[in-house]
Amino acid sequence: MMEELDLLKKDWKKNENSFQQISEVDIYKMLHKKSSSIVKWILIISILEFIILRGLDFWVLLDDEYKNKMNLVHMYSFEVILTVINYIVLIAFIYVFYKNFKNINTASSTKKLMNDILNTRKIVKYYVWYNLLLVAITSVIALISEVKYNPMLSNFYVKHQLALYVLSLGIMLVLFLIFWIFYRLIYGILLRKLYKNYNELKKIDL
Amino acid sequence: MSENLEQSFVQQLRENQNIIHKICRLYTSDEDAHKDLFQEITIQLWKAFPKFRGDAKFSTWAYRVALNTAITLYRKSTRSISTVEYEKHSFFISQEEYNSEEEEQLKLMYQAVYQLNDIEKALIFMYLEDKDYTEIAETLGISEVNARVKMNRIKGKLKKILNP
Repeated sequence: MMEELDLLKKDWKKNENSFQQISEVDIYKMLHKKSSSIVKWILIISILEFIILRGLDFWVLLDDEYKNKMNLVHMYSFEVILTVINYIVLIAFIYVFYKNFKNINTASSTKKLMNDILNTRKIVKYYVWYNLLLVAITSVIALISEVKYNPMLSNFYVKHQLALYVLSLGIMLVLFLIFWIFYRLIYGILLRKLYKNYNELKKIDL
Repeated sequence: MSENLEQSFVQQLRENQNIIHKICRLYTSDEDAHKDLFQEITIQLWKAFPKFRGDAKFSTWAYRVALNTAITLYRKSTRSISTVEYEKHSFFISQEEYNSEEEEQLKLMYQAVYQLNDIEKALIFMYLEDKDYTEIAETLGISEVNARVKMNRIKGKLKKILNP
């Protein structure tokens, strides 16, 4: 085997200068082309997630009909307080995300680089889970209080309390499932190769 | 200032471009993919260049960024190269100095190397480049002992591919 590897090395070295050379002009041109690296995609997707999740919030809160409804069931001020807390958390998340993102350095060791990329992505994942949990909790609270305080429905509440709880749980589960599938998809497309290589590297050091 | 930076970068890259070509040759299967990866590595090098302090050699630094780009950042799959594609790829096997038996052996070796995974290719690449285990371990972020162990396993794996 060593013989064959030596032969390979000899050939490798001998042909070191056999590549068609790229001129400085062409290198200049390349500098101004767009990167398609996964880090860039992770940044784009993360920003989109931050925007979409916030956008949903605004859209719901500024809706007059929703406002009236919530007032009716004594929930509006609760929502507003929640939104304020939400923004503080959002800023904290963005700060940590940015710090992690800045940490990504292509001159790090391969393992560290992979680790840093995955960590950056993890922050967004936590953020999404945090939001999901919040949506789930608030929607269940809203549902229950709506039924409880709405005179037209309070009779229903007394009669079908259990069914209501089961329904709430069901809604929550479906919500989580949708997001989970969505996430598998993003991870699958974007990070499959990275994960595979990362695990391969980790295995070496086991 | 930024123009000077650009000029200095382009010049050093042109002088060291064979490093990138070699990585592209190992990690891609056709000319288009080679060009594509070469461009992505160039962009990544340029982006990282302001942080390059010059306390290391440009070539050493470029090795790392280029290899990291191929393994980690580059999105397109760099594996599953069929024999047909391999034959089309203008892999270097020079005619003159080898006898036909050696030539055949070389061809098989290159095919075997192509079947390795990304990380194994990186180890073989650095081996072919005469990097010592300290540098190999540091570049990949693994321990030196384990880099040695892994290298031996890869040799075993190549042997198996060559003599099934």
